[in-house]
Amino acid sequence: MIDWQYSESIESPDIVSIKKKYTNYIGGKFVEPKSKKYINTISPSTEELLSKVPLSNEKDINSAVKSAKEGFEVWSKLTPNQRSRYLFKIARLIQERSREFAVLESLDGGKPIKESRDFDLPQVAANFFYFAGWADKLDLSWATKSLKPYGVVGQIIPWNFPLLMLAWKIAPALATGNTVVLKPAETTPLTALLFAEICEQAGLPPGVVNIVTGDGSTGSLIVNHRDINKIAFTGSTQVGKLIQKSLAGRDVGLTLELGGKAANIVYEDAAIDQAVEGVVNGIFFNQGHVCCAGSRLLLQESIHDEFIKKLEKRMQSLRVGNPLDKNTDIGAINSKEQLDKITGLVNEGVEDGGELFQTECELPGNGFWFRPTLFTNVQPSYSIAREEIFGPVLTTLTFRTPEEAVEIANNTEYGLSAGVWTEKGSKILWTADRLEAGVVWANTFNKFDPSSPFGGYKESGFGREGGRHGLLSYLKASS
Amino acid sequence: MIDIKKTYKNYVDGKYVRSESGKTYTKELKNEFYELPLTSKKDIRDAVTSSKNGYKKWSSTTPYLRMQILYRLSEMIEGNKESYVELLMDHGFTKQKANKDIDESIKNIVWFAGLADKWEQLAGNLNPVSEEYFNISHQNPIGVVFSLSGSNVSLNELLMSILPSLTVGCSVISYSEENSVMALKFAEDINNSDFPSGSLNILSGKFENILDDVSKHVEINLVALHKELDNEGLKTIEQNASESVKRVFSQPSTEGFSSILPYLETKTVWHPKGT
Repeated sequence: MIDWQYSESIESPDIVSIKKKYTNYIGGKFVEPKSKKYINTISPSTEELLSKVPLSNEKDINSAVKSAKEGFEVWSKLTPNQRSRYLFKIARLIQERSREFAVLESLDGGKPIKESRDFDLPQVAANFFYFAGWADKLDLSWATKSLKPYGVVGQIIPWNFPLLMLAWKIAPALATGNTVVLKPAETTPLTALLFAEICEQAGLPPGVVNIVTGDGSTGSLIVNHRDINKIAFTGSTQVGKLIQKSLAGRDVGLTLELGGKAANIVYEDAAIDQAVEGVVNGIFFNQGHVCCAGSRLLLQESIHDEFIKKLEKRMQSLRVGNPLDKNTDIGAINSKEQLDKITGLVNEGVEDGGELFQTECELPGNGFWFRPTLFTNVQPSYSIAREEIFGPVLTTLTFRTPEEAVEIANNTEYGLSAGVWTEKGSKILWTADRLEAGVVWANTFNKFDPSSPFGGYKESGFGREGGRHGLLSYLKASS
Repeated sequence: MIDIKKTYKNYVDGKYVRSESGKTYTKELKNEFYELPLTSKKDIRDAVTSSKNGYKKWSSTTPYLRMQILYRLSEMIEGNKESYVELLMDHGFTKQKANKDIDESIKNIVWFAGLADKWEQLAGNLNPVSEEYFNISHQNPIGVVFSLSGSNVSLNELLMSILPSLTVGCSVISYSEENSVMALKFAEDINNSDFPSGSLNILSGKFENILDDVSKHVEINLVALHKELDNEGLKTIEQNASESVKRVFSQPSTEGFSSILPYLETKTVWHPKGT
């Protein structure tokens, strides 16, 4: 027997030079925060300090919003073709500096380089390319009389796909003629600040894109600012509800892309090996830090034992470790806080009576890590079957009939995504029609494209991002 | 001879019902004097239960049939035009203005009837994703809609607060305060048509009595306010709505295709291509 030795393949971090301290990007300038306060951003895979970024206060937000308002005067007077060309240029510049961004994303956020390099960055560029082409075709997009931009849009984004969420927000907002004040997540601000350099390189008029960093208090200042015309938020349902509440009675537009607890339904007539791959991708992609993750595996009873056996075997081959190792499948959990949340929910699942399987693997000494985890023997009432865990934890439930599968799948306040696995076409369409979810992946999972609208039903939020439908999130249809 | 005056009741689940509270409020017109149901919290709960069932029936009715049911409504209003004109004149309309309101109503029903089997083609599309996948975005109706009608007396304005959501397959709880005699008269034509019970419930009363319950009810998916409320009222509704991420639209557009957009949820389905 050959004794295979593992040899790692590390992507060099030298391509990116991280500054000791960053500033906000307001009115086309890199400016020190008026708050004079900073927060640390660390690498979740080593816990080492990477840099310091502004903890922006009210004065900083005032100046960012003011600059976006001035930027709107300029941006809205450009021809649609000029706006289109700025976006094309940004897309090109991102492609050129793609590796630099990918490495920085993995360092600051903890995701495997394989994903930041092959998924996040190509999608970021693709989003700018896609919306670039819409900027001068808005009159063709919808059969409504008059579509107008909101003006100044406040955008608050999460830490799971930092730069991609920025692209999902900024590309359609700019294409539709709005200007933005964007706040990246507290734990992953660096790629957004590097993106500010791209805006400068592209010669974007001052004030069109403003990037301010900070924590939840900074986000709240943006939401409550009197000159904001629209808020676009991606994050937890809990915070989304607070934002909706804060905007009550105010004439401010809102789109919310919130949490999920997606059912991934596997029928007995599915191609089992493909389904195992899809289920693994569905929950372990990006450490399970995915709002549309297939976190509830719904197995038809007759295939339960066989499927779980294959799934456990496949899970065991997942490589957990250094995000910069090109072989890594599962990187670091984004923060200590998130690790504690995952750990708490998993402990609760065990106490409730769920049967726990975790892969055997060595975890690095420093940083935040969690083993790929599978629960079987779960009741629908357990919190691991109801609450969004946002980590590499899969919960299994079983069903007997398609009707029961749909009932269990829809029995949640969330409605972001769902998966269906069967080789029978009519059953796919029957099931997809009945699932209350904004995205349904049939015989696949976690597929994304800038032309494909994304967003939720029910408490997973409202509005769509991507595609022709994504334009409506940034346009007011006025009669 | 003594006149026999008609008693208007709420129209819930295909039946004419009094408010369970037994309460009424009055409306005095030029010739007639009406006592109208003062809808209570319990009435709203009953209406929502009915609307949930109505939604299942109405949203699964084929677009072709929905179109014909809507068109049939225009035929019935045309047939009863005289009585609508009379009611409007009792509200103080000139005959000419009253006729115009009914003509506009019929025109709009016909427009929406014809949209029932077309809006999916206008609102959905294939998405040209850059891998080997079939990817389509299409729409579902959002579910149970509560629609507060405007403060003007008008059949046309009442219809414009109902038709956009009803056409796409939502079930609608239509609530009128000032326009309630017209709304409850209109319920008779709904009752005589082929709408499944619960697809359209029509109630009257004081909105302030039920504002809190409507905006907090988790089984109402969307609140459409076709009446200008004071900021305090709107704020309360939107705050309550945030507890379940309920959609609230204040004076949404009722014009053309954009009128239906608030009532749609976009669903995108992916499937790989291959051999």
